[in-house]
Amino acid sequence: MVAMRAAVIPCLLLALALPLAAAAQDNRAAEVQIKAAFLYKFGEFVQWPPAAFARADAPFAIGVMGAEDVAAALEQVVADRTVQGRPVVVRRVRRGEALGGLHVLFIGHGDSARLAETLAAAKGQPLLTVTESDNAISHGSVINFVAEDQKVRFDIALPSAERGQLKISSRLLAVARKVVSS
Amino acid sequence: MNVQHSVRHKLLAVVLASTLAAVLVAIAAMVAYDLRLYHQSWLNDLATQAELVGRTSAPALTFDDARAAQENLALLRYRPEIRAAAIYDARGRRFASFSADGTEAFPRFPEADGTHVEAGELVAFKRIASEREILGTVYLRARYELYDRLLGYLGIAAIVITVAMLVAYALSRWLREMVIRPLVAITSVATEVSEKRNFGLRAERLTSDEIGLLADSFNTMLAEIERATRELEASNREAAREVGERRRAEEEIRRLNAELETRVKARTTELQSTNAELEAFCYSVSHDLRAPLRSIDGFSQALLEDFPKDVSDEARRYLARIRTSTQRMGQLIEDLLNLSKVSRGELARRDVDVGEIARQVVAEIQGREPERKVEVSVWDGMQANADPRLLRAAFENLIGNAWKFSAKAEQARVEVGSLRDGDEVTFFVRDNGAGFDMRYASKLFGAFQRLHSANEYQGTGIGLATVQRIVHRHGGRIWADAKPGKGAVFFFTLAGKSEAAPAAKEVAA
Repeated sequence: MVAMRAAVIPCLLLALALPLAAAAQDNRAAEVQIKAAFLYKFGEFVQWPPAAFARADAPFAIGVMGAEDVAAALEQVVADRTVQGRPVVVRRVRRGEALGGLHVLFIGHGDSARLAETLAAAKGQPLLTVTESDNAISHGSVINFVAEDQKVRFDIALPSAERGQLKISSRLLAVARKVVSS
Repeated sequence: MNVQHSVRHKLLAVVLASTLAAVLVAIAAMVAYDLRLYHQSWLNDLATQAELVGRTSAPALTFDDARAAQENLALLRYRPEIRAAAIYDARGRRFASFSADGTEAFPRFPEADGTHVEAGELVAFKRIASEREILGTVYLRARYELYDRLLGYLGIAAIVITVAMLVAYALSRWLREMVIRPLVAITSVATEVSEKRNFGLRAERLTSDEIGLLADSFNTMLAEIERATRELEASNREAAREVGERRRAEEEIRRLNAELETRVKARTTELQSTNAELEAFCYSVSHDLRAPLRSIDGFSQALLEDFPKDVSDEARRYLARIRTSTQRMGQLIEDLLNLSKVSRGELARRDVDVGEIARQVVAEIQGREPERKVEVSVWDGMQANADPRLLRAAFENLIGNAWKFSAKAEQARVEVGSLRDGDEVTFFVRDNGAGFDMRYASKLFGAFQRLHSANEYQGTGIGLATVQRIVHRHGGRIWADAKPGKGAVFFFTLAGKSEAAPAAKEVAA
């Protein structure tokens, strides 16, 4: 009897948890879409140093690390689109891989353990690093996604941007949740 | 005085009307220009504002930041004429909004780009786009104060018009002084001239403009009229004087005529009585002379018949001459009696057949001298209004003369006819006898005037005088035409009612 009851409770929990899990899955999908779109749109509000582009017609490269769903969504978003007049390419980046030629690098949740390492490698390069981890700003990330009121918002760290010789438009700063300066 | 008022009012009306028209047109043009400018610039302004809001709100839309958009819109409170604003996202949902008065009246869906007036307010829609991608739409609603401005302008216009009219009125009063006063001066002089007919008046020249010229012309005209009037009066007086003179002359003539008539009447009466006396005397003398002549002739004849043996041939011849003389004297007396008979008694005119009388006379003369062969032609149809007894006497003399003086012609011819000249009928007696020299024509009709000796042609010389008297008593004329040896023509007319001459047989020359 007790065993029965013991068996029933997890079943009930499971019954309760299943829709919750489905809801969480839906939220994640919307969040991924929004983040992919934001990653692409940041390009319009940031100015890279000329050295960041190898050739005059070099493509605008966005790297994604540890977030396959974001990479897939981003590929859909940037199809046939341009940033600052350049075609957009998406590159999946693995840990320890060279970061040269990239203009934007998104480091997903999944690799948060290696966050500090990757951010350290990117430090000083003209690379707009975007993260979605709570303490990423302190590790040198330029833009960090945060959730607020079920919406995707972001913080911006100006010192990190300045180190990478990136100029961020005041219009982007105006819509940031928080701007960290010095 | 009405005239002056009328002109004065007209001037005032002209000044006020032109002022009003000018002010109205100017104000209308200004207001129209200003309102159009206001409309255009406010439209552009709102469109620009919408664009601005859109640009500013583009990142907020891009990164789905309604708060930032809301903050952007809230800045519009510094433009109080903007009453409401809203931002719609790409799917048409209201993303952020702002309302100056707190009411929540926004269009449910954004509309196409553009600016328009809606219910007294200006409404603008503006798409927000980035990189060919529509991010959303801005909506702005602003006060549209065209009618308030218009009302304000109307107030200003009322004040301006009032002031302009007052100024124009003052101006027109001044103008009246300038223009009307000289005119009034001329008008009053003109009135006085026409009422009193005093052309000696002159208008005062107050200005040197057209009115001054008018005054001068008026004065010149007055002078001319004055002169003309004076001349007319003078000529009237002259004419009146001439008429008087003529009337006096006519009266004089009439008086003289009357006097003359009386005198003529008196003389005529005198003459008539003298004539009557003379004729009576003549008649009685002739009558009385006939008795002793008859005795002388009778006793001479008795001597010859009763004592044929006692009277010698010598004595017989003497007696014959005595008898011839007494007979001639008797004839003379007879003619004189005839002459006086012709003069006396009433003229008994009636319509007579002239040809008939002439034929009777011819027959009578032919009867006395049946041995003479004379070709006599009397025209038919001759009529006259005359005393038949006297006309017969005239023909007796004229035809008798023609008969007598054609005695020596080879083929004696006597013609009695008439000629018509207009209303006047002229009778003539023509012969182809001895004729006479026209130099003596003036003596023809005097008594006892003879152109031929008594030996050549018998006669007493009284016949033509008798004829002339008869013709004159009828109011006619008598004249003759002749050539010695070629014959003579005696013409006479009988005034009064003469009957038509016959359709002429041809008249031999």
